[in-house]
Amino acid sequence: MGRVAGKKLFSIMALCAMISLLLLPLAVSLPSLAIGADAPDAVKKEGEAKVEKGRDVYYKTEGIVVGAPAPKTVDGPKDYPRYNFESRVLLWFANQQHLYYGSFVLAVPIFCMVIEFMGMVTKDKAMAKRYDQLAYDFIKISLTAYSITAILGGILIFTFLTLYPAFFGYLSSIFRPVMHIYALMFVAESGTIYIYYYGWDKMKEGFLKWIHLSMSVVLNVIGTLLMFLANSWIGFMMSPAGVDEQGRFLGNIWHVIHTALWNPLNVHRILGNMAFGGGVVAAYAAYKFLASKTDEDRAHYDWMGYIAMALGVAFLIPLPFAGYWLMREVYAYRQQMGITLMGGLLAWLFIIQATMIGILFLSTNYYLWQALGRMRGAEKYQRYIKYLVFVLCIGFLVFITPHTIVMTPAELKAMGGQQHPVLGNYGVMSAKNGGINVIITTTILSFVWYMRGNKVSTVSWSKFGNIFMGIFFGCAYVNIIWLAIYGYYIPANVRVGLSVPQVATTLSCLFFMFALNGLMMKGAKQMGAIEWGKISVRSQYALIMLATAFTWMMGLMGYIRSSVRLFWHVNEIMRDNSPWAYTHTVGFAANMISFNVLFFWFSILFVFWLGSLGVKKAPVEAKAGVPGGAPQPVEGH
Amino acid sequence: MGDLIKEALSIGWPLLALLAGLFVYSLVSIKDRVAKKRAMFKLFIGMIAACMLMVAVAHYKGSFYEANRTLPASLVLITAMCFMMGIYFPNQAAMLRIGGFMFLVAAGLSGYGNWLPQVEGGFPPAEVKLDFASMSAQQLADEGEKIIFGGVGKNKEQGAIGKGQCPLCHAFHAGMLGERAPNLLGIPERAIKERLEDPKYSKGKPQAREYEQKESFPGAGTAETAQEYIAESHSCPSCYVVVGYGVKGTNDKSSPMPPIHKPPISLSLPELAAVDTWLWVQADRPKQQEDKPAGEASALLADGTETVDQIFTKAQCIMCHTIPGIPGALGKQGPLLEEGTNAPNRIKDPAYKGGAHSTPEYIMESVVSPSTYVVKGFPDNLMPKVFGQKLSAGALKKIVDYLSQVKAGSPPPKIS
Repeated sequence: MGRVAGKKLFSIMALCAMISLLLLPLAVSLPSLAIGADAPDAVKKEGEAKVEKGRDVYYKTEGIVVGAPAPKTVDGPKDYPRYNFESRVLLWFANQQHLYYGSFVLAVPIFCMVIEFMGMVTKDKAMAKRYDQLAYDFIKISLTAYSITAILGGILIFTFLTLYPAFFGYLSSIFRPVMHIYALMFVAESGTIYIYYYGWDKMKEGFLKWIHLSMSVVLNVIGTLLMFLANSWIGFMMSPAGVDEQGRFLGNIWHVIHTALWNPLNVHRILGNMAFGGGVVAAYAAYKFLASKTDEDRAHYDWMGYIAMALGVAFLIPLPFAGYWLMREVYAYRQQMGITLMGGLLAWLFIIQATMIGILFLSTNYYLWQALGRMRGAEKYQRYIKYLVFVLCIGFLVFITPHTIVMTPAELKAMGGQQHPVLGNYGVMSAKNGGINVIITTTILSFVWYMRGNKVSTVSWSKFGNIFMGIFFGCAYVNIIWLAIYGYYIPANVRVGLSVPQVATTLSCLFFMFALNGLMMKGAKQMGAIEWGKISVRSQYALIMLATAFTWMMGLMGYIRSSVRLFWHVNEIMRDNSPWAYTHTVGFAANMISFNVLFFWFSILFVFWLGSLGVKKAPVEAKAGVPGGAPQPVEGH
Repeated sequence: MGDLIKEALSIGWPLLALLAGLFVYSLVSIKDRVAKKRAMFKLFIGMIAACMLMVAVAHYKGSFYEANRTLPASLVLITAMCFMMGIYFPNQAAMLRIGGFMFLVAAGLSGYGNWLPQVEGGFPPAEVKLDFASMSAQQLADEGEKIIFGGVGKNKEQGAIGKGQCPLCHAFHAGMLGERAPNLLGIPERAIKERLEDPKYSKGKPQAREYEQKESFPGAGTAETAQEYIAESHSCPSCYVVVGYGVKGTNDKSSPMPPIHKPPISLSLPELAAVDTWLWVQADRPKQQEDKPAGEASALLADGTETVDQIFTKAQCIMCHTIPGIPGALGKQGPLLEEGTNAPNRIKDPAYKGGAHSTPEYIMESVVSPSTYVVKGFPDNLMPKVFGQKLSAGALKKIVDYLSQVKAGSPPPKIS
């Protein structure tokens, strides 16, 4: 009893330590957050004769000038020292690798939190242990990756300082009031993750387990705040605020952080990180599956891959909507910026992005269809898959068709106008929205089929439920396609608004149909067990495809977001006067992204290998719950 | 290919040396014949794989900075290498296959990126000091056209865009609908008749305006003339917003257009004046053309003072013809203009009914009377028959001189 009480005390103290770590940066920062706190004393003194005021470029408010103007750089060793290589490419590489690892280590603790919670609320003891072990495996992987993230962060800062000292100096001067908070958040994140990891075995039962779960919440709050702070830098570079036209800081750090694009960037990045994290873990599981020597291992990693994929896709589905929001805010901030992205210099990159989104959803659907093969009773759905393939392909082709892009006069002449006479009709946003919503709705349908694959509903209203579900999906397709067609008959500015009912239709399918399916499958009759480990090898390549494509897309979107500033370090405030102030060709960007992706995957495979070295030391008792030669049925999906 | 192999060897010789060392070691140290055979076979496979890898790396390195459509071949080579290694090294098969598959995916995506049209964003326009004050109205208008469209004579090209970035949102010709911003054709006239008279404009009473901004700068008041209205639109787009073109959700109280004299566009006052001048000249052009007799110098597309590539551009020859040595001349509607080679053959063609006896005569005839001889596979009456009137004698001579020197298989002549 005394031992239990001691453990409880230890756990509560650990939780309190975490919360203190979380609050520490805020407590430290509060005095300096006060407006004008950074102003030199001379400026703040009342009655001082000269107080220069400036007007905020975004918020249009007046403030006392407390910073130096943005430096006007010139090409030379002072502002742009260099090695015998393109500095921008070096920085691109360092930044991208740091971002990949950063995203991974921020996403995995969120997964752990979700999976640990699932384990705690699951009544099936064996399942609970499996979930717990899975969460533990995840955090173990992320711990090695965490060290690499910190190393890459250091390399990134050195790269900035070495190659772009004037630019980095200016950004640091602007963010000086929160730089120490950023550093302290890192300390808090590190402390929390280690307490969380090493406290796993000590807090695995009852109340202590809840405390342990609370720690994961604290960990994720810290991680998310850290990411928000990092995002404020890129938000400032794209859509500066809190400074005047010369780039002089006006004393309000909240304005600098809370720029026009900060909120949508934050949401987009959280969702993106989660989908990316899911992809990486799914690829890890696929690798372990393919390397497994025993049925038991294959079963475990098949299940792990499925969970990671499902979590990743759960965040992939809302990602396009968050992307639309971000683009809308970009257009609202600077119309030219939006046009450069979607209809100008960078438009071809968006065609690649659309292709990537299509590939991601096609891979997901392919995996689910393959997964139906390991279920007894799921054969009845197999014959309908060809129709889903058809619908997905049509949606995909419409989605990737370009509409307005920059062309040479000769290309224009060859095509007979700005748009292709036939294909141009499918490229307008209305049709594109229709295309992507059809793809997502079909993915939802695949999920519903998967979830009921080996089950037969036993509720009395199952026939009515099935008919209702069929009609609901049918109406959803009709509504999405009808709105896509209707968009041609109304002006462009009205047409944009049609995306709202289209997205609402898709989300209705997601929430209502999942809920209805869940109700119908409650207490359903099992036609056979899910034979974990009996999935085709091809399905694992679909998971790897998903992970690689997502990594590639992340690199692509990061490049687009960064290059839309064109020849500005800080948009409209600080000009890039280096020899690399031009935008690369699509081909070069694609090569560079591929290089970054492959480098990341080789290094993360190394991390996986390092993680596997510690397997023997890890607690193995939880493995008792892993399905062995005779796979156990799983109630939940 | 030889260079590629040389480069591959210079990169990968340490690896090959290592494998060779292992080969010798296996030969000497392993006694069991079967085990020795197996080890040597694996080393042999390893050496082939190493060669493939080095060639792939050398190829990738050599074309990294180019938009090279064969570049993904490097990644495919590595994919093949990984799968081959996976067969002979079963312990690492999963890792090798996954790695190979990732290379294949990256190859596909890189290939896709390289297959698409390659657009490169140029450097920001260099600051050029021009003496706007000493320019004539026409010269000023030409500078304005350059700022708006990127060059003189480019105003009818779709997608043409200059430093001012105006065509990103505005249209400038009849029948073109600007979905993001109003069509600016005839704006000097409309400014007087419609904009300034609009009660919402509140002429003379800036404080009565319901818009986000009241004045361009304190004390500026409102515009009284069309010139002032256009100037005000540049610096204060939100002083008056045309119905339907406001920022969404502001009820047309705020304009999405940025002030043009500020970053990112940052046109100087003389540059803005040049843009305005072009708008005026453009508005008056139909009238001027009606007033002046045909054939007058001002109606010419080119007067012969330009370089030959400018003449081709102004006369829009480049839209339909591919002309070696002329930037942007990639048209396919008309024949390839290698007239130094083509003209003698055409004159000898029994179907030729024209009167030319030499290459320059044939070219001149083709320009001023294109239907005299129509090249097989191309339609008649596609080429305008007005170039005799629209090009000066000097301009025609430059065209003839240039095209006479263009020969198949020879480098294009120098532009003069």
